[in-house]
Amino acid sequence: MRTLRLLGIGWLFHFKMIMRSAFDGVGQVIYPLFFATVAFFVFRAGDSPRTLLYASLGAAVMGMWSATSTTAGSAMQRERWQGTLEALVATPANFALILLPVTIAMATIGIYSLVATLLWGRLLFGIDLTVVHPLLFVLSIPATVLTFGALGFLFAVCFVRFRAAWALGNMFEYPVWLICGFLVPLTFFPAWVRPISWILAPTWGMNAIRESSLGGSPLPDLIMCFVLGSAYIALGFLVMERLLRAARERAALSLT
Amino acid sequence: MNSFRLFFVGGLTSYRALFYWLSPTIYIPSLIVAPIFQILLFAYIGRSAGLQSDVFYVTGNAIQYAAIPCLFAMSQTVSGERYQNTLHAILVSPANRFPLFVGRALPVMGNAAFVSAFSFAAGCVILGVSLPAGSIPGLAVVILVAAFSCTGLGLTNAAVSLRVRENAVLSNVIFGFLLIFTGANVPISELPTWMQDVSHVLPLTHAIQAARDLAAGEPFSDVTGLLATELGIGIAYLAGGLALLRVFEWQGRKHATLEQL
Amino acid sequence: MAVVEAHDLRRVYKTHTGTIRRRVKEIEAVRGVSFAIDKGELFGLLGPNGAGKTTTIKMLITLLIPTAGTANVLGFDVVKDPREVRKRIGYVFGGERGVYERLSGYDNLRYFAELYGVPPKVQKARIEELLELVGLKGREHERTEGYSRGMKQRLHVARGLLHDPEVVFLDEPTIGLDPVGARELRATIGTLTSAGKTILLTTHYMFEADALCDRIAVISQGEIVAEGTPAQLKSRVASGAVTEVEVFGIPDETVERLRSLEGVMSVWVEEREQAQVLSVQTRADVQLTAAILGHLNGSNVGRVSHREPTLEDAYVALVEGE
Repeated sequence: MRTLRLLGIGWLFHFKMIMRSAFDGVGQVIYPLFFATVAFFVFRAGDSPRTLLYASLGAAVMGMWSATSTTAGSAMQRERWQGTLEALVATPANFALILLPVTIAMATIGIYSLVATLLWGRLLFGIDLTVVHPLLFVLSIPATVLTFGALGFLFAVCFVRFRAAWALGNMFEYPVWLICGFLVPLTFFPAWVRPISWILAPTWGMNAIRESSLGGSPLPDLIMCFVLGSAYIALGFLVMERLLRAARERAALSLT
Repeated sequence: MNSFRLFFVGGLTSYRALFYWLSPTIYIPSLIVAPIFQILLFAYIGRSAGLQSDVFYVTGNAIQYAAIPCLFAMSQTVSGERYQNTLHAILVSPANRFPLFVGRALPVMGNAAFVSAFSFAAGCVILGVSLPAGSIPGLAVVILVAAFSCTGLGLTNAAVSLRVRENAVLSNVIFGFLLIFTGANVPISELPTWMQDVSHVLPLTHAIQAARDLAAGEPFSDVTGLLATELGIGIAYLAGGLALLRVFEWQGRKHATLEQL
Repeated sequence: MAVVEAHDLRRVYKTHTGTIRRRVKEIEAVRGVSFAIDKGELFGLLGPNGAGKTTTIKMLITLLIPTAGTANVLGFDVVKDPREVRKRIGYVFGGERGVYERLSGYDNLRYFAELYGVPPKVQKARIEELLELVGLKGREHERTEGYSRGMKQRLHVARGLLHDPEVVFLDEPTIGLDPVGARELRATIGTLTSAGKTILLTTHYMFEADALCDRIAVISQGEIVAEGTPAQLKSRVASGAVTEVEVFGIPDETVERLRSLEGVMSVWVEEREQAQVLSVQTRADVQLTAAILGHLNGSNVGRVSHREPTLEDAYVALVEGE
C-alpha cells in the first residue's frame, strides 16, 4: 500500500513537472507529426483505408515511444544536473521506486502524441478511428504506457554510466519504431529479427492497441505486456542495487 | 532524427562547448546508427506498402539526413560563439565576414558529406541494393553538392539562431519539413501542388532527384542541370544567411542584444 | 551515549588520468577523522574549502562508504544499515541547486514527505509548520524558479526536517547567501537546537561556527587539527594580543622578518579593498608595536590597532600551522 502510494505520488509529481517542461519547447509536440505525415503519404499511395488506419495507429504509438526513448535514458543524469539526485538517494525510500514513476510519467506524456497524431490523421487525411473493442482499447493505452515506462526505466538504469545517455536513448527511437511492427508487419523482417521484436514490450503494446481497434484478440498481447514489463522492472531493480552500492563505494557515480 | 532534441530542448542548453557532440559517444549513435535506421525504417515502410524500391529510400534518406549535422553544427558554431561571449569580439573585428563564416562552414560540409556517404553505402549493403558501377563518382559529386547547399541552409538557420532562443526546436522542425518536402520518402509528384512549389526552392530536393537518376543508370551529363539548380539554391541560402547575419549584427549593435541569452 | 560517532574515518578517491595509458591517482580526502556528538549538541566542522568537510558528512549520511574506519548514527552503522540511518537523519546542503524548479515549494515538500515516509495524515500539518519555521509561508505555491537564493536554501532546510529527524546534517547551509539571508538562516538553525535536535554543521565561516556551535572541530587537509568549545579554541590563542596594521603593499621578506621576531606567534596578511591588513599575534608579555612598525619602515602605513584574539585568529593559526 505504501509502495503504491509512493509510486502514485512520484508519478503525479514528475508528470506535472514534465507537462510544464514539454510544452515550453514545441518540438516535443510537433516532431512526431512529421513522421506521421510521411507515413500517411506513403500509405495513402496504397489507397486502402484499412492500411491507413493501421498506419495511423502505428504513427500514434511512434510518438508515444519517442516521448519515452528520448527522455528516459537520461532520467538519472537529469536529476544529477538539477542537483536533486543526492537528495533523492539520501531518503530512506528505495531508489528504484523513486525512479520508476519518473520514466512512467515520461511515457504518460506520450498519450498526448497519440491523441495528436490520431487527430492529425483525421483532420488532414480523413482517417477515421474505429474501435472494435472500446473497453480493451482504453485498457491497452495505459498498459502500453506502463510497459514503455518499464523499458524506459531499464534504459535509465543501464545508461547511467554514459555521459551522453540522451544520445543512446535517442538511438533506440528508430529501431523500436522499425522492428516492433509500428508501421511494418513483423513478417517483413528476416527471421532472426523476430525474437528481438518479441522481447521488446512495445511490440505487444502496439499489437494490443491495434487488435482492440481493428478487431482481434488483444488479451494475449496485454498479458505479454505485463510479463515483459515486470521482467524489465525486476532487472532494473537488480542493476540499480549494484549501481548504488558501487556509487557509494567507489564514488564512481558522482551523485552531484 | 531528433537526436539533438533532448540535448537542447530538454534542459541541457547550458552545455556550451563547440563541437562537443563530435565525441564518439554522441557521434556514433546520432550520425552513424540513426541515419542507417532511418533508411531501413522507410525502406521497410515502402516494402510493406508495396511501393517504391529500396534504392528510392536509400538515396532519399541518406542525402536528407545530411540536414542533421548541417543544421545543428552550423547553429552551434554561431550560437556557441555567443555562449562563450566571443561572438562580439569576432563581429567587431575588421575581418571580412565572408571567409570567416564560410571557413567555419567547410568542416561542417565535409562532415555532412561523410554522414551521407557512409549511410548511403551502409544502406546499400544492408538492403542488398546494387548500383551501376559507373554511377559512383557521380553520386559522390551529388553528395558533395547536397552537403554544400544544406550547409547554406544551415548558415541561414544559424543566423536566425542569433534571434531565436530555442534554436534546437527550429532545427528539428526544419529537419521534419525536409523529410516531407524534399521527396526523400514521398515522390514530389504525389504531394499537393502548393507543397511541390515549396519543394523546388528547398535544398536537397534536386540533389535527391539527381542521385536517383544516377542510381537508375543515367549518365552524369543528364543530371548536370539538376546539380546546377541545387548549387544555385545552396548559394542563395548561403548569401541569405550572410545577409541575415549582417542585419542581425547591425541590429544587435544598435540594441545590444547580441550577447543576450 | 553519543548520537553520532566517527572512528578513524578515511576516504580515498581514485581518479584516472590519461586516455590510452590510464594512470590511477589516489587522493586521500579524509585521513582518519574521529569525533563524537552528544544528544542535543550543535557540533561544527570548520575548515577551508577542500579540507574534507563534505566528504566526511557524506560518509555519515550514507552517500559514501568510508575506505576505512567506522561511523554510526543513533547506534546504526552507516555502512551496514543505511536505511535505518536515513530514516532518522535530515540532510541539508547549501546552494541553489537541488530543487525542482518548475514546481512550487509546496509540491517539492510534498514529494519529499512521501519519500521520507511521513504518514499521509500528518504531511499537511507538518509542511505548514515547516513553512512557518523557515519563513516561506505565503510563497509556497509559487514555482521555485522564482525563489531567491535564500528562499531556496530555506526550502532545503524545510525539506531536511520533514520527517522530524533526530539528527540534522547541515552542509554549508549559508554558502553564497547575502548577510541578511545568512543571519535569518542562522536564526532558524538556532531554533532547531532548542527543539532538541542534534546537529552537525559544516562551514568555513569562523563567526558562524562561533555564533552557533557548542563544540567545534577544525579540519584541515583531511585531519582534525583541533577540537573544543569556541571558548577553548579561543583560549589556545588567547594568551596573547593581536596587532593589526593597515599597510599598502608589503613585501614578503618583511612578513618573514616579522615572523622571526622574538615573541611573535603568527603573522598573516589579508587583502582589503585598497589596502592590506597585517595581523601579528604576539605573546601577552611582550610589547612589539614599535618593533613591528620599525620593520615596516619604508612601507606606507595606515591605521594601527590592538585587539584580543578571536576564533578567527585561532582558526588561521591552526590551519596555517599545518
